[in-house]
Amino acid sequence: MSDLNVVSSKGVLRRGWSAAVGDYAIAGGWTLRGEALVVSDAAGGIYAFDGKSGASAWARQRGHDGGVLAMAIHPSGTAFATAGQDGRVLIWGVAEGQVKQAIDVGSDWVENVAWSPDGQWLAASCSRQVRAYGADGGEVWRSDDHPSTVSAIAWSSAGELATACYGRVTFFDASTGELRQKLEWMGSLVSMVLSPDGDIVACGSQDNSVHFWRRSTERDSEMTGYPAKPSALAFDDSSTLLATSGGEIATVWSFHGDGPEGTRPGSLKFHVEPVSTLAFAPGTLRLASGGRDGVVALWSLRKNGSGGAIGAATVADTVAELYWRPDGKALAALDAQGGVTVWRIGRTKGRIPRVREPQRQN
Amino acid sequence: MNTPHKVPVTILTGFLGSGKTTLLNRILSEEHGKRIAVIENEFGEVGIDQALVIDADEEIFEMSNGCICCTVRGDLIRVLGNLMKRRDKFDYVLVETTGLADPGPVAQTFFMDDEIRAEFSLDGIVTLVDAAHIEQQLGRSDESTEQIAFADILVLNKTDLVNGEALDGLEARLRDMNRMARVVRSEQANVSVDTVLNLDAFDLDQVLERRPTFLEPEYPFEWTGVYSLDMGRYELSLADGPDPAMSLVVVSGQGTDDAALREGAEWCVRRYAEPAELIHPGEEIPVGKHVNLRLDSIGRKSFFLEVDTQGQVGLYAQHTAEEFDLQLTNVDGATIRQEVERIWVAQHEHDDEVGSIAIERDGDVDPTRLNAWLTILLGERGVDIFRMKGFISLAGESRRFVFQGVHMLFDGQPEREWGDEPRRNQLVFIGRNLDEQSMRQGFEACLI
Repeated sequence: MSDLNVVSSKGVLRRGWSAAVGDYAIAGGWTLRGEALVVSDAAGGIYAFDGKSGASAWARQRGHDGGVLAMAIHPSGTAFATAGQDGRVLIWGVAEGQVKQAIDVGSDWVENVAWSPDGQWLAASCSRQVRAYGADGGEVWRSDDHPSTVSAIAWSSAGELATACYGRVTFFDASTGELRQKLEWMGSLVSMVLSPDGDIVACGSQDNSVHFWRRSTERDSEMTGYPAKPSALAFDDSSTLLATSGGEIATVWSFHGDGPEGTRPGSLKFHVEPVSTLAFAPGTLRLASGGRDGVVALWSLRKNGSGGAIGAATVADTVAELYWRPDGKALAALDAQGGVTVWRIGRTKGRIPRVREPQRQN
Repeated sequence: MNTPHKVPVTILTGFLGSGKTTLLNRILSEEHGKRIAVIENEFGEVGIDQALVIDADEEIFEMSNGCICCTVRGDLIRVLGNLMKRRDKFDYVLVETTGLADPGPVAQTFFMDDEIRAEFSLDGIVTLVDAAHIEQQLGRSDESTEQIAFADILVLNKTDLVNGEALDGLEARLRDMNRMARVVRSEQANVSVDTVLNLDAFDLDQVLERRPTFLEPEYPFEWTGVYSLDMGRYELSLADGPDPAMSLVVVSGQGTDDAALREGAEWCVRRYAEPAELIHPGEEIPVGKHVNLRLDSIGRKSFFLEVDTQGQVGLYAQHTAEEFDLQLTNVDGATIRQEVERIWVAQHEHDDEVGSIAIERDGDVDPTRLNAWLTILLGERGVDIFRMKGFISLAGESRRFVFQGVHMLFDGQPEREWGDEPRRNQLVFIGRNLDEQSMRQGFEACLI
């Protein structure tokens, strides 16, 4: 697409390259240690770009009939899985862009797919079921029906898978599918994130709240007052900060000390339309946020969740997803018009340049 | 950033066997050049090439706060959320619910979820009614009552299985429950696509255009005919009809425009409140008095009318002229055609718990008082209010404020400029056991 509107990036975001896919860019990820970026779109196409130049490595227009719904990069970085409206999961080789395994999951949409951290298992959810596959694509187990369609899945460790649906979070043993823990709460859980230390599971709810549990104590808390549903959540690698969408302000809860109960969250104001996606840079308290306003903002945060914008840029439409390169030195944004934009992250010696809040347009 | 045109959505409800799938197939097979996506909760025999059909299990998501207005349909949020991502967006979405579906959560989804609301607009709710079975269904289930109460269009289907009189009675009952909806009769769901799609059903102007009387107060008479008469004697004759008697008021100097008719109607309401003078066939009808014509003899019955001065005369009759084949002839026996005819909303008993309340008032409303009234009304009675819509003349606002809502959810914005149009307010509420008088008083207190 030639009309990508990447203008006036400010602060530490330095314009890298941009490219385009055929439709709304649904999901993607960095592969081969950042040497390639793969992206899939709502029309079912899968695309690979050279990580440094953005040159097209390969493109497959018809990966999934009806469109791609989810994507997961294998921890090795050499393979990835896509899931689509055609009820299938495809496992691809990154270098050659060929399907290595095709799995028929069911007749319904396959909406979530995730590799276990050790790369041994692949989990996929279809309607009310979640299924686990071996790396060769063979089915290992499948769950009983959940009370509603599974809205999110995540690996809490190499040996355990978590699912979210209306009314509960469920943990399954990776190798047997045995149910390990069930956390219940009446509400439609639309998103889920697990703290990297495995203790905290946080879910955004349709009723404009964030609900989280500490698995060790089974204590749970609810964060309310969001103007919209928090569909994007992100934990930093140290399990200290939980960033949440749910309106124009990104809200950051700190689990440092006794928090976040009874503490004030960090309130990140920059977007003029609701935040659509959030991503922490690997190993840092640096957060990237994308919004329906087409703005990508970069934040430097403190342990208490407060912080300021240190970079900002715009893309052509709603920011669908943000992906940090594994070394944290580049950031990729996918947008609703199929734009793929990559920025290098500038050095921030001494004083961090602050980016001022834009004027709201009415 | 971009604000693309919102994709209209039609919700198709109705009990099992009411003809939803037939209607759906009809819509899809008609040449309309639209890209339609269908979300089905029941497996139907739908399979048309140009439409994308998605089966989704009905998933009702209640919220932890227990508020029924916050209950939404998770399956729709999920499916529509994905559909809206495609660049080659659909022109239209049809949602076919199960026969037992509560239409509330379906409609609420389009108000409650901000992402859905940004991309889709609820065009209308079409409820199919099985004419042969609806009476039993209404007695047995809340769902069928609510499906009727929520409807913008009621398709009274399978009319070939029910006789005309029963159909009229059924239609009257449906109208009582939902005065906002348009009733369309069909045999095998054979209604034209235009009657169910692109209704812009939430636009009250359109409703008024179709049924100009739906907001009106009820009158003790059903029909008015205005005749231009010279001086002289006239014969008013009536054939056998449904009742042994009929009330009538004759008004001299009656104008033919809308304002004059309303004025005449208001005047006649007061005459009708007075005791009626009994008039037998062959007698003369006095002008400006409430009379009761005796019609219990067999055959055509004639009454006489003496006109003193040339001019227009209005007949305000308890029944329509059609019902008794009412004829006015001069001394030469020539039939005189009326200049204008007007049908009024007649007073009648309301049997069902579910009904409609329409409020129409001229003038401006104080926004603070309106807000306070609505907050209390929707807070206390929101559960029982199924649908509401209308427009309001807010003091200090040059545009019409248009609103609509479902249960406690209220959504409004200023629309077009009032311009030269007289500033007025029209509100319609459909709900269960609504207290009409207190709602009227509540709104009147908001007027400046």
